[in-house]
Amino acid sequence: MIDTTQSIEIDAPIGQVWGFARDINGWARLMPGLQGCEILDEDRSRWTLKVGAGALVRTVKVAVQVQRWAGPEAVDFTYALAGDPVKGGGTYRAVALENGRTRMELTVQVEGTGPMAPMWEAMGRPLLPKFARGFAGQFKAEVEQAYGAAQVPPVKRSILARLLAWLLARFLAWIGRLRGRAARAAE
Amino acid sequence: MMQNLPAKWDMEVDLVSVGSGAGGLAAAITAQDNGFSALVLERAAELGGVTAYSMGEVWIPGNHLAAQAGIADSPESGLQYVSTLAMGYGDERAMRNQAIHGPVALKYFESAIGLKLQVIRNFPDYYYPQTKGSAAEGRYLEATPFAAEELGEWQHKTRLTPHLPAGFTHEDIFHGGGLANILGWDYGLLADRLTKDLRCLGPGLAAYFVKGALDRKIPLYTETSAEELIGDGERIIGVRARRDGKDLFIKANRGVVLAVSGYERNHDLAKTLSNLLDPVSMVFGTVDGAHFRLAGPAGARVARMPDPPNLGIHMPGEEHDNGTPLWRGSLPFLGLPHTIVVNSAGKRFANEAFYRSVYFAVDAIDGATQTHPNYPCWMIIDHQARTKYPCGGAMPGQDLPEGFAVVAGSVAELAGKIGVDAEGLQKTVAQFNKYSEAGADPEFQRGTSPWGAIMTGDLNHKPNPNLGTLSQGPYYAIALKRMGGGGITGTGLLADNHCRVLGWNNAPIPGLYVAGNSMARLDTGALMQSGLSNARGMTHGYLAGLHAAGRPSNLLERAEMVP
Repeated sequence: MIDTTQSIEIDAPIGQVWGFARDINGWARLMPGLQGCEILDEDRSRWTLKVGAGALVRTVKVAVQVQRWAGPEAVDFTYALAGDPVKGGGTYRAVALENGRTRMELTVQVEGTGPMAPMWEAMGRPLLPKFARGFAGQFKAEVEQAYGAAQVPPVKRSILARLLAWLLARFLAWIGRLRGRAARAAE
Repeated sequence: MMQNLPAKWDMEVDLVSVGSGAGGLAAAITAQDNGFSALVLERAAELGGVTAYSMGEVWIPGNHLAAQAGIADSPESGLQYVSTLAMGYGDERAMRNQAIHGPVALKYFESAIGLKLQVIRNFPDYYYPQTKGSAAEGRYLEATPFAAEELGEWQHKTRLTPHLPAGFTHEDIFHGGGLANILGWDYGLLADRLTKDLRCLGPGLAAYFVKGALDRKIPLYTETSAEELIGDGERIIGVRARRDGKDLFIKANRGVVLAVSGYERNHDLAKTLSNLLDPVSMVFGTVDGAHFRLAGPAGARVARMPDPPNLGIHMPGEEHDNGTPLWRGSLPFLGLPHTIVVNSAGKRFANEAFYRSVYFAVDAIDGATQTHPNYPCWMIIDHQARTKYPCGGAMPGQDLPEGFAVVAGSVAELAGKIGVDAEGLQKTVAQFNKYSEAGADPEFQRGTSPWGAIMTGDLNHKPNPNLGTLSQGPYYAIALKRMGGGGITGTGLLADNHCRVLGWNNAPIPGLYVAGNSMARLDTGALMQSGLSNARGMTHGYLAGLHAAGRPSNLLERAEMVP
């Protein structure tokens, strides 16, 4: 078995990071080479990825199963490649830091099975850290971008403006009712 | 001679190499070492060309590395062998030129760029021992692992190959039991090499030459397409290239070297020059005959050698890194035990353990029936082969991907599913099984070639490494598709012994050179020997560079003067 751990600090509070991490579609979207992601239920999904190894690119189908959702700090998952004797698992860990930052740690294991296990693991060894590092970097960028956008203060409406909006809504509803009565009277 | 001078030049060098495989880089390096500036243009985004896609074999008879290892050989002996392979289609002077200069170019690049090759031990010539002049070992060389980190920013812009893991040498593979015994390879070593990016085979060989060019600060322009040669009415003096969407007029004071490999990705040229119909290809898209497009207007003469199709297989889901489907050569699989190749009649038609036998037979046309009797054709294997051996990108025991093979419980059922004569196939299998048990194939002499045993057989299989019964279902049929020769094409530009391109009047076109697979194979003739292409590339580049620098080799003339 081979594994890698990538640790990265994200400039967003743990709650925001969790908001991103709990969405499997969000994970899949960040995966390098993703071609498609089919969500089967809350825990199971099927991903189609194009994975590059040297000058060779292969399309692989991966069944991903979340074993434990323990947000906002932890997720454990396993996966298996369809048609290739490769499986594995991993963990997501998040720790709140000072100043509203979060440390995310991503661990991924790859395990070849059967007689060719050494080959799969040899091929995977240089790729895995690169893959996980790329993913963690993308994850950080996405969360920070989303959080940064969320930090832009919304235009606050005054109490008067909110009162006017409420009155306008009531007025439009009253007009609508009047039109309805007039139409029925004409029939 | 063409005359198409631009209004102004954008840059000026002495020699322009078009193509960044061993041929183009060797020419640029040699010219620069002889006091002239060089520039390399590469249409693709990565350097290394077809050299990097190859197995990295360099076949040089009479080389000094073999001599140091105590192996007796000579260029003359190698020439005798190649002359026989040529079957009269080659040119004796061109063959002698390669025989003389191969060892010289090797020594030159060892010294100049630190090229480190090693003898692949116990690896015989194709036609050893039956052909006079053949050798049991010593002529095949390969690169020792190259640390790609030395390429700096070019590390990830220098080609790898999708066809084999670049972390193994031939020596490593043979030590692990050969191509068939993939289960025995040292994957700890592979992991270490891949992690450190230590490159072997073709990627390693190409990397040495890229490093040589970088050390000399030779500008390497990738994603730059040579569009047109420029002549002044007397000689070729430059190139119009396209770079970043703009024309770039490059003056080449001493000449232009065309080293762009073959043309198999161009279906029109494949059909009209090689009579190859709708071929698939194992190489990348830029191998499309740019040398003909460039040299044609200068009046360059072309010549053709016998050029049968290779046979390719495609694993669904496998692609080149540019997104096009990846086709693999079937060579390593056809001669394995428990494997035969049959035509529509269900009959074997060649020695599957020697691809030259299969490919020429596939090319045959039956004038009476207006058919290709041996195409379409299929590789037929049984459960034993699937359990023990790799097949394409599928490892032993691994399920074959959907769409790759037709599967059936019996030979007859399989024949029905692929439209092959069932009775014919059953008879063929029964007969082949008898041959396998006896360890001899009287029909096609499969299993008699040492090279075939090593490269397409299982050396652990008894009594014959290339013969094993098809007797355990399920049975599989894999369609074999006509494929180009991996850049080694039959037709190319004709050149003299200094690699000057010749016109139709047989006179050299001043300022125009050709190297490697872009040159017509007059120096090999009909039957190739693997490793000759890489040897030709670096030798041609060396000769072209010397001539462009005004220091042409006179070794051929001197040899000819010896009574």
